[in-house]
Amino acid sequence: MYIVFWAMLGLLAIYLVRVVIGPSVWDRLLGLSLISTKIIVIIVVVASIYEKSFLLDFAIIYALSGFIGTIFIALFLSKQRLGRKRGKR
Amino acid sequence: MLVWLGNIIIVLGICFMIFGAWGLFKLKDFYSRILVASKIDTVGVVSLIIGFALRHGFSFFSSKLFLIMVILLVLNPLVAHILARSAYISGHDVGDDTPESEAKE
Repeated sequence: MYIVFWAMLGLLAIYLVRVVIGPSVWDRLLGLSLISTKIIVIIVVVASIYEKSFLLDFAIIYALSGFIGTIFIALFLSKQRLGRKRGKR
Repeated sequence: MLVWLGNIIIVLGICFMIFGAWGLFKLKDFYSRILVASKIDTVGVVSLIIGFALRHGFSFFSSKLFLIMVILLVLNPLVAHILARSAYISGHDVGDDTPESEAKE
């Protein structure tokens, strides 16, 4: 089961590379939302290895708050007119 | 037998996630990237969680895992939609971040 843990950490590093080199700000946001999904899976793996069911509550709370954070960042960015068309749409 | 089945599904989930990561780098445009990454990532997470639930059989642990799966199934596509919508509203065109478009500018 540790292989799942290390696989998720490797994928997390790969998504961090995408967050760093992402050309537009939305690639960075996409990378961040994927990283939060990976962290949820890492919490589930740790909870499964140590057979502690209260750890899953952390995963639930993190799932809700992580996504809500990304949603509000995206809503904030949509008002900043960052795109090439300067938000003519 | 159940644990053995759970392990197979977990390996399947990891393969999905590796494809997602590979797709994230191979695709040149943001909109295709978000389509592939969020979809494959959701499927990967759901299959991983089902695999872990199978490993733990019918228990309190699995019920919490099922709740996490439901939350992720709802929230992941939602976030992908909001991201693509905010990119579209603030004028990020389809071919905006490809090398050709920068050269054309």
